[in-house]
Amino acid sequence: MKTRVHIIDNISGKPVEAELFDEVTVEHFIETQQEWRPIVLKAARQLAARGSHQLIPQHFHWDWTAKAPELKVLANAFYGVRYENKLQGLMKLETVGQFCTCRLPEQAGKALIYVDYVEVAPWNLKALMSALGEKPRYNVIGSRLIEAAVLRSKEEDCKGRIGLHSLPMTESFYIKACGMTPVGRDPAKQNLLWLEHTPEQADKFLTGAR
Amino acid sequence: MKFNSDPEWLKRQAALEDNCFVSVGGLVSAVEDLEEQTQRATASRTAFVSLLNLTRREHKLTWEQFSQKLDVDLAELIEIENDETYKPTPRTVTKIAHFLHVPPEKLFVLSGLARAHDRQFQEAALRFAARSQPVKALSSEEHEALKEYVKFLCER
Repeated sequence: MKTRVHIIDNISGKPVEAELFDEVTVEHFIETQQEWRPIVLKAARQLAARGSHQLIPQHFHWDWTAKAPELKVLANAFYGVRYENKLQGLMKLETVGQFCTCRLPEQAGKALIYVDYVEVAPWNLKALMSALGEKPRYNVIGSRLIEAAVLRSKEEDCKGRIGLHSLPMTESFYIKACGMTPVGRDPAKQNLLWLEHTPEQADKFLTGAR
Repeated sequence: MKFNSDPEWLKRQAALEDNCFVSVGGLVSAVEDLEEQTQRATASRTAFVSLLNLTRREHKLTWEQFSQKLDVDLAELIEIENDETYKPTPRTVTKIAHFLHVPPEKLFVLSGLARAHDRQFQEAALRFAARSQPVKALSSEEHEALKEYVKFLCER
């Protein structure tokens, strides 16, 4: 699957057409390691040197290449966003697994799509680019990936239900920008906050209805 | 999949996402962890260069002939052998893997393009790197080391 979606170019403030695709390969993982990781690490070091520890990205260590064997697992789905021949964001979903069950009381036990990994290219993150004295390049990449997760959930008959474990510094994005419900801390996953979309919340997110 | 094409939705999401981290995927303790992983990658890289070198000598090929056999750029082969920080392209690593009849994913790890969280894999790479010395003729020990290591890569 390849489709055109609009994202925002922060320099011009205007929408630009990016490609959202699901044919993710190990080469994309290698690209994140070669293109993203040095920038993330450089910014993390700058922030540490300035004493801005609260802004050090909690995902600076990630290594997508370690997920290469998971590309072959049918229960997994990967999505990427590409623009100007560069990978702008990457996401891994699980359609089956220990975290693919709803916990929110009104939908407890129902199936959901688990968002296992999401990462946006470091040049699109304001806090990181500020640390390096630059401006972030593109916006709405995260929203587009979550939109893909919700649409996939609908395709899998989960009616838009998705769930994920948010890092502490990303909680506000999933609550405010995606409209997900915080359910509680999960001791099974580093005590991270577990969030879910109900079908109604998923539809609101997709359509932008208030 | 039908994505939202409404400019208002885009504008609203841009305002909401602005200045946010969006990453999902778990925590790790310190920057030092990443540096330790980088050191392990360097050891694998040494094994990759040795593997390349011994394979070329096993087939009694010059670097130029080897590059032709592999259908890769000679300059890239030289860079791989001489510059530890040089990252080969996935295409080149795939070509080398096909020549050796080993799974490309294994060579992605060995060449430093991907990372293995497998101690046995890393230890085997270290042992192989330690056993192969750059001497003129391929010693019987090197021949054995090469044969054994290619077998290991194929089996796992």
